[in-house]
Parts: sequence; structure tokens; C-alpha cells
Amino acid sequence: MFVRCLYSTEQTKTKCLKINAVQQKLMQQFLLKKGDFSKFVNTAIKDSDFVAPVEGSREKQNTRPFFREISSADEIYLGRKSYYTVKGFFFRENEKIFGFNGNKIINPESELKDTIYFGLRRCDLNGIYHQDIVFLDENEDPFYKARRDASLLIGYHCREGDDYCFCNSMELVDFFDLMFYDKGENYAVETGSEKGNSFVKKYSKFFTKADNAVSDEDRKTVNRKKLNTADIKDDYDNDDWKKGSDICVSCGACNFLCMNCHCFDFEDDVEFDLKAGSRIRKPASCQLRSFTRVAGNHVFRNERNARFKHRIYHQLQYFRERHNVQFCTGCGRCIEGCPVRIDWVEIINEMKK
Amino acid sequence: MSTRIIKNSPYKPRAKKVIYYKRESPDSFTIRLDWQLKHEPGQFIFCSLPGIGEAPISICSYSDKYIELNIREVGNVTKALSGIKKGDKLLARGPYGKAYPMELFRGNNVIIIGGGCGVAPLKGVIEYLEKKRKDFKDVSLFFGFRTPDDVLFGKKIPDWKKKFDINISFDKVQKNMKTCYSGKQGFVTQLVDDNVKDNSNKIVFICGPPIMIDKTAELLLNKGFHEDQIYLSAERLMYCGMGKCGRCMIHGKYTCLDGAVFRYDELKDYKDD
Repeated sequence: MFVRCLYSTEQTKTKCLKINAVQQKLMQQFLLKKGDFSKFVNTAIKDSDFVAPVEGSREKQNTRPFFREISSADEIYLGRKSYYTVKGFFFRENEKIFGFNGNKIINPESELKDTIYFGLRRCDLNGIYHQDIVFLDENEDPFYKARRDASLLIGYHCREGDDYCFCNSMELVDFFDLMFYDKGENYAVETGSEKGNSFVKKYSKFFTKADNAVSDEDRKTVNRKKLNTADIKDDYDNDDWKKGSDICVSCGACNFLCMNCHCFDFEDDVEFDLKAGSRIRKPASCQLRSFTRVAGNHVFRNERNARFKHRIYHQLQYFRERHNVQFCTGCGRCIEGCPVRIDWVEIINEMKK
Repeated sequence: MSTRIIKNSPYKPRAKKVIYYKRESPDSFTIRLDWQLKHEPGQFIFCSLPGIGEAPISICSYSDKYIELNIREVGNVTKALSGIKKGDKLLARGPYGKAYPMELFRGNNVIIIGGGCGVAPLKGVIEYLEKKRKDFKDVSLFFGFRTPDDVLFGKKIPDWKKKFDINISFDKVQKNMKTCYSGKQGFVTQLVDDNVKDNSNKIVFICGPPIMIDKTAELLLNKGFHEDQIYLSAERLMYCGMGKCGRCMIHGKYTCLDGAVFRYDELKDYKDD
């Protein structure tokens, strides 16, 4: 997977620009007729599982757009960014870490299905890039890796963001196997990895080579919202954070909807005989009071304000300090999904005025 | 669809046999595991009982033959572990965490200050110092316990007295109570205040309840100690031990990867975060 190299200092800038130029050359560009799109998707569905965003409805059990496995191209919904993210397909809820029977450990099994993920927006793709850093870079997580190895990521470029997103403020990188751009009668398709190049080769009858099919203008996204600065290093004690934390209800919706949040718990699930069972992994929320509770009932981030700030500092500062990558991808789902509409981007913008 | 059996998961523990069990105080016990694990003082392991759960426990020994753990019964897992007997097995994985950078301190005077069950992780350091006694100058131990009943590693104390300067205090002592230990009544901070005069060539390790760490560090700083002379241990909830579960993060630092031993200046502003 190609990742456009980021530079944090002037010294690394030249080196990174060179890497970016080499990667740019490996990218290939094609055209896919919109008239052929359904046929292409339905052909691909025969070979692999195909996950794409679908429009929500009561019948589909989610009333807002969400990702699910589809059986026909007609189900795909690209009208707007999916409300729910795709992260649950890679970092599964209730993942069985291992089974046990007494002290005997039973190795777990992980499903390996070749799956195409289609319709991922740039923010989703960058979220997967960040999950890769967490779960693959050091002490590889074998469950996550199995699913990532079996995945092909196809992006769909946003021309215009919605009321909540601010992706242009977040230094996103190119991270995809294939990227689709809407070009009227055609889709312009760009490859971003060897995997993507092989995929196009496999379905070559749908793709026509077209150098310069994607212009710099095509890559742009219009954002209505902007985070004026992500530098909040010296603002930890600013009272303005209370504008958010005073109305926060600690529900954890922001964690659940975030493409980047990856915290988890282990829990033992025991059979009726109280001997056999399994250790499972469940997502956790840093907004809940129990998140930092230690034995003896001491809670470190007891104040809601501290928990509220922790999430935003992790998104904007802590991850960048550790990995030199901006964690938040600016999708704005945490703002859209907040039941009391806390807009932390506006809080920071006003704080910095 | 195909499935892959995950054999080498980093989360997978191994069954280890308990070869020694001793009740240490009314609410804590020491166990020794038949486990030749390469480790350094200050590191920890995860212990679990299937069906109950997993908990991080500091290693309280320094040996290439076994692993010793002192466990205080405060949560579900530790309470369940207290029922374990010699010959039983438990599940364990590790070691995790950054150790005390002992090599850096060679040729220095060492002050060790422990409060309650915070003495346990420091026992690993003490055993390290016993083995490499010649590499270090004066070693002073300051232990504070609630009552004489709560003293940990009581049998070791006479041994340590021969090699190190040792001071013990009890928060509460009943009137006319006879104890096997010569200790003063009061907090460990008082002991430190009375006995530590200056910061010359000294390195301090503190482990104990947060309030005890705060007060002791404050006292030492007032006596002229520099922030980089003081090392302290942080306690946080954790599940993975590898910087993934996010539970133990303190202002961007993972207690499991960057700690649990931190230099004072790394944590001073974020102790409650």
C-alpha cells in the first residue's frame, strides 16, 4: 500500500518528496464507464465478498447509511458519507482471543475471506491506515492482520463534505488499493498498490488505461467546516473545554462512531460448567467513568472534563507525538453522532481566537 | 471462506505451576511460579484464571530460576487468585513494561521508598542490589505499612538489615503492642524527612499509593533533589500490555510500554490524568 510520505521537519521534507514522487509513478490511472459499473460490481461479487455502504432504513435495521456485505450493485449508496464506519469489519466486536477448558488453552480461529471494501471515503481509508499503525506496526495483532490481508480497499472520492467534516484540516494521506473519482459518464480509477494493480488486471475488460484521468482538481474536497489549528499543546488548562464537557453525557457515541478509536477490554465468557469458555475482546470507551478505574475503586480521570479532553488530546496530540501522523481524520462523525451536539472543533476555534 | 488457526497470538498466556504459596498479610499473599523468565526489576506480567479474568502483577523477585509475585486482594482476579494452592496452575504472559534502568545508577547511593503493597515491585530491585551489591554505594530502604500485621516479606527483613540501612514505619500501632519489627509510628514521609539529609549522588525509587508518592516526591524536591533523581511507579488499568488497548494511557504515554516505572519529570504534571 502506498502512503504519501509526511514530513514534519525541513530536513525530512526533501527525502519525503522524493519518496512521494516514486510512489506517484507506480500509481496507474484508468476509466470505468458508469454504464459498466453494475456489471463490474456483480462480477466481483461472484469472486469475493463485497462490503459497501448502503442507505439506512427501518427494514435494514440501521436508519442511517452503514457498511454491510451486499449481494448486488443496486444496494450501493454513495449519496453521502456513511454514518457508521467500516472499522467493525477489521476490529471485530466480541473477538475470541482464545478458548479455554480449565487451564488448557485452545487456539482461536480467524475467518479469512477475500473481501472487497468499496465506497470508503478518504477519512475512512486514513482511519484504516491508523488502525494499521496500532495493530500491525509493533506486536502484530494476528486477528486484525488476517482480515487486513484478505481485504482490498476501494475508495470513493468526496467532492464535497457534509456539514460536519473537516478532513482538509487534518493532513490526510493517499492510502488505498483503488480510488474511484466521479467524472460524469465515467469513473476515473487510480491504483495505489500492487494489490490494486493486480485487481485491475483481473477485471481488465472493465477498465481502460487513461493516463492523466485524475487531475489535482479531482483530488480536492470542499469542506464547509475547518479546524483552524490542531495545535492544542498549551491549552490543556483552558476553561473553554468546559463548554463541551459541561453538557457531555459520557455516552461514548463519539468513540463508537470514530474510525480511529481502538481501545478495548478483555472479558471472560464462561460456559455453564464454569470450566470451558473463551476470552473475548470488546471495544471500550474513554468517555465512561470506569475506563480508568483501578482495583480499590480509584478512578484516575474521574472528572468528565478530563475524560472529554483526553479523547481530543489523543486525536490531535498524543498519537502525532508517538507516530508522527495526525490521528483524527476529520470525518466529523463524533460531532454528528453526539446526542447533545458538542462541536469540539468550534470550541477549539473559539479558544484560539 | 477459509479459516486460519491463530497459534502465536501475543495475548495467549501459558499455564504456569505455583511452587510456593505464603500468606503475607491479612489481605496479601506471595506465590512463586515455576517459570524461568528473563526479566528486569520493575517489569510486570499478566496473571489470569480462566473464567475470572486477567490482571497485571509486578514481579517481586529477581531470579533466573523462578518468578515471585506478591498479590493484594483488591479486585475480582486477585481475590480469586488468593484461593490458589501450591501445585495449582495459573495462566501467565509477559514480561511487560520498562524496567528500572539499573545500569545507569551504578556507583550511586540508592534510596528505596515503598508504601504498603508498593513494597512488592521494589523487592525485585532489592534482590537485584543484593546480587550486585558491589556496584552500588549505600542503599537505604524506607518502608511504610498500615500496621505491623501488614508488613510484607517479614522474613527477608533481617537479611536485608545486614546489607542495607532499613527503616520501617507504621501508620497505626496499638498501645503496648509488641511486634517483631522495630518500627516507628507515623507515615513513611516522616522517616524519609528524618533520615535523608541531602541529594548527593543519590537515586530514589518510590512505589506506593498515589498520595504517598506525591508527598514523598514533594518532600525530596524540597530537600534539593532534582526531578531526574526520582523514579516512581504508575498504576493504571490495562488489558493488552502492548499499547493497543489504550486503557493505561497517561497524557500520551502508555504505562505498559513507557512505564510502569517513570522518571518524576515525565509524569509530574499528569499524575491524576
